[in-house]
Amino acid sequence: MAKRLSVIVSQAQGKNPAKRKLEEDIVAGLLFESGIDVTIVPNLYDIQADSTSLVALQGVGGNAVLCSWLFERAARWVLDRHGIHGQHGTVLLQAEDDEADEDEADDSDEPADDKDRVIDSRDLPNRKIYCLDLKASNSADEFIAEVKRIYSENQVQVVGLTDVLNAAPLPKVASQQAGDQNENGSAAGQAVVNRIEEKSGRRWYPVIDYSRCTNCMECIDFCLFGVYGVDRIDTILVEQPDNCRKGCPACSRVCPENAIMFPQHKTPAIAGSMDAAASLKIDLSQLFGAPAEGKSAEELAAIERDEQLVMAGRNAVGAKSSAGRSEISTSSKPDELDDLVDELNDLDI
Amino acid sequence: MSTVIFMMGEFEAEFPVDVRYADNHMWVRPIEGQANQFQFGFTAYAVRLLQDVYFLDWLLDAPVNLKNGQEIGSIESKKAESSLYAPAEGQLLTFNDELMDDPSAINVDKYGDGWLFTMKTNGSPNFMDAEAYLSYLEEVWVKTQRTIKGQLND
Repeated sequence: MAKRLSVIVSQAQGKNPAKRKLEEDIVAGLLFESGIDVTIVPNLYDIQADSTSLVALQGVGGNAVLCSWLFERAARWVLDRHGIHGQHGTVLLQAEDDEADEDEADDSDEPADDKDRVIDSRDLPNRKIYCLDLKASNSADEFIAEVKRIYSENQVQVVGLTDVLNAAPLPKVASQQAGDQNENGSAAGQAVVNRIEEKSGRRWYPVIDYSRCTNCMECIDFCLFGVYGVDRIDTILVEQPDNCRKGCPACSRVCPENAIMFPQHKTPAIAGSMDAAASLKIDLSQLFGAPAEGKSAEELAAIERDEQLVMAGRNAVGAKSSAGRSEISTSSKPDELDDLVDELNDLDI
Repeated sequence: MSTVIFMMGEFEAEFPVDVRYADNHMWVRPIEGQANQFQFGFTAYAVRLLQDVYFLDWLLDAPVNLKNGQEIGSIESKKAESSLYAPAEGQLLTFNDELMDDPSAINVDKYGDGWLFTMKTNGSPNFMDAEAYLSYLEEVWVKTQRTIKGQLND
């Protein structure tokens, strides 16, 4: 029997009509594919621990494709954070600035050296998770084609017993099934769509990439808000995500391995970009009051931490405490400029 | 409501004279009966640069104390994106929550329902009146064009 593939669509925050249309076009396109189940949830990063969305996500079995507006690396580790673990599935549909890269894109996201990474000590379940970055294309067809490619790839794989067991259909969760998109959906063929509509506020917390993390503890030393903790075998974890200070990415800057992501941060390197994928939009910050730039990552981290300490009614500590030795690639500025041309042509001011 | 106009190329940006203006292109309206409390929103100049706003995000939870120029959030539109900065020193009281799900009021009613946040400022900052803001725009219009076009040929 053909193995079903689960597709999860994580919606964009806010109300960007182009983004919403792409999400819906992908869902509509997948409806007529056989062997595919679709789950639509609000923004993955904002999902709360006790939410219907999380129950639905955790109920998704077998190999899964996640379509989200997060960078691939961020998406994978946000899922991991939500307790959805799996092997890294290789996605071929990537953002198009690859030709500008001097070195070819590295398929695996594990750094190539001999340091011990936290992931090396973990057993991942025998399921693959493919994270598609919806920023990679404007065309729903390209995403649909990639899902179909992954579907076929999964049909020919050698399947372990646990895989089969996990590939059960979606559990019933309290959610609204989109009636208009679900006619005839029960047969073995057509897609079943499970749409979770749930309001959730915006959240802000660090997400650890355990394929990079070496458990060095710089972050737990640096953060003075008790966000980090360790598990029973002394592995670092984000223990109290909601202690995190909204907008503060300081721990990400001090992490020597760039293993800490804030998926909603405006700097691609902090948001989990693998490369310096720059925004295609015009940056108006200098007009709207941005201060002049030119600080190192450690200086910035110390300043950001002080701002948060003062806001919380505590004393600033400056650069003392172990503001690390890392350097985050500040990157992106020059390349960004090239891509603005098209946007500017129709700006007409 | 009487207004003054600044020409951004062909575009007429209108500015009501009954509010004041901050140099980060926000309008400032005193809240009646509350000393040093103000409502802030984007001016027609800012909205014209942004065009259709899709997404607004604040880095802070209100209420919160702010330094002048502190980064407080970000905005993304069809054409552009920007970080947002505090227009004055003081305490930010409330954000306009209506904008979080649907920020289109910024475009539809920029001087009304599209307001961004309220603040209690420390002292009474030197906000500009409409005429002074117009002169300020004369000054920065060149820089604005350069900033936009400069991202072409840096």
